[in-house]
Amino acid sequence: MARKSRMFDIAAIQKALPQRFPFLMIDRILELEPKKKVIALKNVSINEGFFAGHFPGKPVMPGVLIIESMAQAAIMLFYSEEMNSGAKKNYYLGSVKVRFTHPVFPGDQLKIIVEPLKITSAAAIVSVSAMVGEQEAAKGELALSIKDEPRTF
Amino acid sequence: MQDLENEVRNLVAGIIEKDPGEVTPDAKFFQDLGVDSMMALEILAAIEKKYKIAIPEEKLPQMISLRETMNIAREYIGKKEQNV
Repeated sequence: MARKSRMFDIAAIQKALPQRFPFLMIDRILELEPKKKVIALKNVSINEGFFAGHFPGKPVMPGVLIIESMAQAAIMLFYSEEMNSGAKKNYYLGSVKVRFTHPVFPGDQLKIIVEPLKITSAAAIVSVSAMVGEQEAAKGELALSIKDEPRTF
Repeated sequence: MQDLENEVRNLVAGIIEKDPGEVTPDAKFFQDLGVDSMMALEILAAIEKKYKIAIPEEKLPQMISLRETMNIAREYIGKKEQNV
């Protein structure tokens, strides 16, 4: 029987996603059903550089980085074996509508859940949420697209 | 069908953040109204949701103006009603 859902460790994530330190914002994928659902983990550590300034003595994870974690998890909706071959793709975040409902602190583990509201071969509008345990930290909608051709600046 | 025109116009205007008056039937989405491909997909998704229809991805490139978008919406609303 074919496995519907699969799990990715950090090595597998790095094969599929182009982001790297200090901007790879997911650590593990617990569930992946391409085009249907992604559940990813982001471990939040006091060692992360942004906590030095956000804020001194009062570390809180910046909301934009929660969005970045969500967006990186959302890219995995488009996962295919081809992504592992290093094929050049570009990822664009088109729009963001996210509400932050609870602060995220060092030591928290964000569980990011992504489900498409509308998905095509090259773009998606997705519903996203980030949970810390049973507590919702953020939820909303993202629009993103993925393109093959290299972007020329 | 005037209702459909107004509804779709308001929906498009809301997504692209323009005054509904600017979204004339033949204003070109890309050239005249600054719509990009992501906004076009949002428009398509919003129409699908509002009218509870499914519009295939291949129709997206044809949604170049309010008039064309309404024609596509009307076509799929019609198909849905036939199936009821």
